[in-house]
Amino acid sequence: MADDGVSALPRKERLILELLASTGPMYGLQLVEHSDGALKRGTVYVTLGRMEAKGLVESQQEPLAPGAIGLPRRIYRPTALGERMLRAWTAFTRELAWEMKP
Amino acid sequence: MTGSSGPLPGSLLLRIARSVFNDQLIAAVVQPTISDLQREIADAGASRSRRVRARWRGYRAFWRIMIVAPFASWPSSAPDTGAVAFPDVVARLGAASILVALIAIIGPVLGVWAAVITAIGGLCAIVLHRWYDRHPSDLPVPPEPQRSATPQINFSSTEVAGNIGGLIFVVGSVFIVAVGLPSVIWFLFTATIAGCGVAWALATWHTKHPRWGLPKNRIDLH
Repeated sequence: MADDGVSALPRKERLILELLASTGPMYGLQLVEHSDGALKRGTVYVTLGRMEAKGLVESQQEPLAPGAIGLPRRIYRPTALGERMLRAWTAFTRELAWEMKP
Repeated sequence: MTGSSGPLPGSLLLRIARSVFNDQLIAAVVQPTISDLQREIADAGASRSRRVRARWRGYRAFWRIMIVAPFASWPSSAPDTGAVAFPDVVARLGAASILVALIAIIGPVLGVWAAVITAIGGLCAIVLHRWYDRHPSDLPVPPEPQRSATPQINFSSTEVAGNIGGLIFVVGSVFIVAVGLPSVIWFLFTATIAGCGVAWALATWHTKHPRWGLPKNRIDLH
């Protein structure tokens, strides 16, 4: 699969894309809460950073309210490429499961 | 979060991260993690127990990424751009902690003189390393046709999955010595932990310098 530039979708990246596609744009902490322990705080941003570099998700810093202090949060949403990857991977696993049925 | 007196939660963590990571990783990973910490502490309100739990969760997440992030890799659009900056202070702290651990283990087990000799040996190693950094030599390398003329079984020249072969050799050798001298078994455990720390530091440095080649200020022997 590597020769044509298409790579496998790791489990955590697939989970993140599924959550974003089903629930809509979310903050990192919301992804952790919705993942039932599959994603961990802190390291979820390592995965999201990797996905953003691959072009599967995009992020936007939320604007700070007037007078607010502290660091602004980032909200993540899937890109068109990310949604296509998720659909392709879902179709692939469904076909594979059907082929392997006794 | 609206205005409050004193430093913001996570300010010290951000300063620690800036001394290790580059701006790309700070923006993508560290700042969102600290932002979550600040948000949860603010949402905890006046409840001390909730604030403490929020801090604990935030600090745990931060130190988790400090360990994991140097080993994470993702495609970068800029050439020669690594994910991590590696200042000398990290290398010095790593070397000092290894030396202290060695002396603390060897002293009670093998005596004061052994600890003193170990300390002197460690200092000599550090001095030699620093001298070599300033006066590196140009190692002779045979031309390509000659290099492959006589195949050799040379373990040291074989790249094995990040030099895991060398790691296995070192750990195995120390383990054999530890089995023969049970009194130094604690040295094996401490050295393993210190080695993991050195591996982390090396991983961060090599991520920043992916195409590190010959040093610029070489001694020309010709």
